[in-house]
Amino acid sequence: MDIFSGLISGFSIALTPINLLFAFLGALVGTAIGVLPGLGPAATIALLLPAIYVIDAPVTAIILMAGIFYGSMYGGSTTSILLNLPGEAASVVTCIDGYQMALKGRAGAALGIAAIASFVAGTIGIVGMTLFAPKIAGFALSFGPPEKFSLAVVGLLMAVTLSGASVVKGLVMMALGLLLASVGLDPISGKTRFSFGVIELQSGFDFVTLAMGVFGLGEIFYGLESAVKTEIVTTKVGQVWPTMKDWVASRMAILRGTLVGFFIGIIPGGGAVISSLVSYAVEKRVSKRPEEFGQGAIEGVAGPEAANNAASSSSFIPLLTLGIPGNASIAMIFAALLIKGITPGPFLIVEHPDVFWGVIASMYIGNVMLLVLNLPLVGLWAQLLRVPFGIMAPVIILFTAIGSYSIQGQAFDIYSLVGFGLFGYLLRKLKFEPGAMVLAFVLGPMVEGSMRQSLLMSGGSFSIFVTRPISLALIGLFAVLAISQSAVTLRKRFRTTT
Amino acid sequence: MKRFVAVIAAVMFASVAFPAASMAADAYPSKPITAVVPMAAGGSSDLLARAIEKFWPKYSKQPMAVVNKPGGGGVVGTEGVVRSKPDGYTLYLGYGSGHDVVMPSLQKMPYDPLKDLVPVSRVSIHSVVIVTGAKSEFNSIKDIVAWSKKEGKPVTTAVSVKAGAVDLALTAFGKVAGINIVTVPFSGGAEATTALAGGHLMIGGGHPSEIIPHIKAGRFKALAVALPQRDPTLPDVPTLRELGFDVATWGSIKGVAAPAGTPKEVVTYIDDNIKKICNDPEFLKLMASLNQPVLYLGSDDFGKFMKQATADYAKLIKDLKITID
Repeated sequence: MDIFSGLISGFSIALTPINLLFAFLGALVGTAIGVLPGLGPAATIALLLPAIYVIDAPVTAIILMAGIFYGSMYGGSTTSILLNLPGEAASVVTCIDGYQMALKGRAGAALGIAAIASFVAGTIGIVGMTLFAPKIAGFALSFGPPEKFSLAVVGLLMAVTLSGASVVKGLVMMALGLLLASVGLDPISGKTRFSFGVIELQSGFDFVTLAMGVFGLGEIFYGLESAVKTEIVTTKVGQVWPTMKDWVASRMAILRGTLVGFFIGIIPGGGAVISSLVSYAVEKRVSKRPEEFGQGAIEGVAGPEAANNAASSSSFIPLLTLGIPGNASIAMIFAALLIKGITPGPFLIVEHPDVFWGVIASMYIGNVMLLVLNLPLVGLWAQLLRVPFGIMAPVIILFTAIGSYSIQGQAFDIYSLVGFGLFGYLLRKLKFEPGAMVLAFVLGPMVEGSMRQSLLMSGGSFSIFVTRPISLALIGLFAVLAISQSAVTLRKRFRTTT
Repeated sequence: MKRFVAVIAAVMFASVAFPAASMAADAYPSKPITAVVPMAAGGSSDLLARAIEKFWPKYSKQPMAVVNKPGGGGVVGTEGVVRSKPDGYTLYLGYGSGHDVVMPSLQKMPYDPLKDLVPVSRVSIHSVVIVTGAKSEFNSIKDIVAWSKKEGKPVTTAVSVKAGAVDLALTAFGKVAGINIVTVPFSGGAEATTALAGGHLMIGGGHPSEIIPHIKAGRFKALAVALPQRDPTLPDVPTLRELGFDVATWGSIKGVAAPAGTPKEVVTYIDDNIKKICNDPEFLKLMASLNQPVLYLGSDDFGKFMKQATADYAKLIKDLKITID
């Protein structure tokens, strides 16, 4: 079956009332998950997995699961922009400029561009998947431990450059993030580190707890002592539709973000996080006014939002064509397929064309549904900012506490949430950028695990990172970025001293 | 649709973890049962758990909800079960995995897998299959041994976790064959097989459920099985013993366990249901499609088998002087 007739038959499956209903249900539940802080897509898919037992057709079940997954990527930006509360790792980058836009009364435009960027990137991602899936799947496999290490190191550098003004502060934040990530189990030997006899620390800190504490609670504690917050709620929400100027600024960012996200999403492990980071760094670099980044630059929202949605589409490629799940959410969908008696892999297109094309077609439809679902809501979400701080603050604290408790069902996570909140408040007072720390926390295990795996492979020789072409290219990219970054910093310093 | 809503509601309730005290008077089970899988989603233990989760409501009035608690090669999730209330509402699915039968001989454990858990039923055994990439120059176990001896170089191997059944089987094979096997641990079978499929390591090991789809896809060549007898899911693949290497392990055993102190009648109730599930033709069909053999044993027999398997592993580790650093 060629692509065209495959897609036609796929739409004939996806457009049946039952499949339309479940695509809509998935998109709706996914958006809700994205909006609610603390509820991640992987946990929710796991929770809803039993639902597929009562759905007869495998394709319908997978359409529902996929809808929840990409829907949550869509909704993830909402609380990042409005409340500085990232619900999942990929939304941390959106906080940086999105929240600044909201503070400046442009929450509507930020939410609008995030929804549009997500739609455009999601759709282009699916088109790319339709056309090239089997061909590029092999590319994903060429990323072994050394390549993943080099990629993660590039990601770390990007995280540091996010810190804005001071590179030193960025490095301090990165080191802290890596240190926090090393609490818990050693990824290679399975021994416990830095747990100090506390059982709850044996599995390490949870990402969602850390991010919600440092960003969300930190913001609230800061708001408690300053009058800033009361000003925001009285300023107007702003226009929902992006202005002509916003469009011009964002359209290339969306396209670049889509490309970056699409290719990084194919690689198993850490796709959406690294792609949003890389996209942000790219936008800052190509921008004519890089100084606006971190102050509410719309490209800083459009690019990363596009990248994480393109990555979530393309992360289906290794699953559907090789049978390899690249992240936790996709692994749940993988298990769902197996339970339904379908083995994802190279034979999927041949043996179950209805599933392959039906799911792909449903993703086109689901993306349109998400846009229709989300754009009218933008105004409604933005109204949240009008709620007085005195009401909003306790509600947020309650939601984040429930969210962090629900992850592992232990009270310890609520204490660490509050601890991270106080720490986040301190960081704001001292003008440190917590983004670098939180992202280093996500990348830490990947950097450490893949480095040690690589060294085991090479018998301890570091040459393994430069003798393999893809790894070498990534290390080269790292060097170029690091040198150009220091050149910019030095030139600035030179200018200010003369 | 009604059923769909009901299932979602039930699962939501299960996750809220109702206080048990008020319901203690009711006959077991009076609320959904949580089955903890201490491994990542999508792996072989998880698939087995999901299959049981699917058939459980057919034989019990309360559903079973599977929860994945990966980390520490399974220790974290298992410890959670060990420390939970022995009331039959928190079970461990996957009992007999590497961290239960292999790890205690290698390092200090925060609990005793034989004493702190009650064996309920054995469901399956996942053997260790030694494989290599389809494009690899190796076509047999003998090729690997010959290459390593001739070149004097180590053989890099992808394994799911450190000190698990796969790691041990391959390390033991290296010792018996007199070659240096370097095992590179990943976080789970899926990651390890992905790295092997990409050709980043020379050989690898895994369970049939993870490996067979890759063999069918032409990405892997199966070289040997490390069980005492051939694996029913891979009847054409010789055992290491048949090939002249005296190494046999119990692979990864997959059973159900409950915290020590769980009432006898509760254990019997769960065991009876698992037995019914293991005889269900639909379940057998699903397990065959997942490439997992159904090898049921009841509570008492499973307990004896676990003691035997643990002792066998301990002897193997001692005989071969295997240690982890």
